[in-house]
Amino acid sequence: MRIYEELFIIKPDTPEEEADQYVEQLQTQLTTAGATIDKVEKWGKRRLAYRIDKYREGFYVLLQFTGDANLVKELERRLRVADMVLKFITVRIDETLKRLEKRKKVRDKRSAKRASTAPPAGAPAQPSLEKQMTETPAMPGLPKEA
Amino acid sequence: MAESKGRPGSAGQRPTGGDKAVIGGRKQYFRRKKVCRFCVEKIDDINYKDIKLLHGFVAERGKIVPRRISGVCAPHQRRLTDAIKKARNIALLPFASSF
Repeated sequence: MRIYEELFIIKPDTPEEEADQYVEQLQTQLTTAGATIDKVEKWGKRRLAYRIDKYREGFYVLLQFTGDANLVKELERRLRVADMVLKFITVRIDETLKRLEKRKKVRDKRSAKRASTAPPAGAPAQPSLEKQMTETPAMPGLPKEA
Repeated sequence: MAESKGRPGSAGQRPTGGDKAVIGGRKQYFRRKKVCRFCVEKIDDINYKDIKLLHGFVAERGKIVPRRISGVCAPHQRRLTDAIKKARNIALLPFASSF
């Protein structure tokens, strides 16, 4: 099972209920084919960065689902056939998510380590502040020497 | 910046690595050390949907800013390029903006 993300653009002149219905239809088709829908996001009407089929804006819809590769094939076929869909992109994201999680874990571990070492360092914080106070007058002298 | 590029002689000696202060020649050029924004701000996820982020790394005409200018490190530039290209594909970013 893989996690995919499908972002597609629906023509701006389609009625909203029709577009909603279409998205709903896609979802039911996916679930009956054995996928689980993780997320559906409607970004609403957005300006396109360039003209597609004489349209300058479109409704963006994001669909995130877990399933097999043949599901994507079917979904892409459906999107291609549909009149109201201008463009679509499928991105496999499970590996990226995994990588991000790993990075996050490393980050957390590192920050936890830092936090655990901080308390002993935190105790002599006040003396060091005093030290800084005494040291600061000496600092401007250094660049002059150099 | 332009003068330091135009200097002969130095081109052969230092073909790359322009982000350190250039010492030598008649004048001294101090260039601010460029740092990778993704490393500094600890941005792990360079997503193609995050147009706000990507916009900063696209020039006026829609070109990807080279890392010698933006200072992004190589691994992050690779991911960034991928993300920008994906975003272009779905009309979030322009291939070439004409104006």
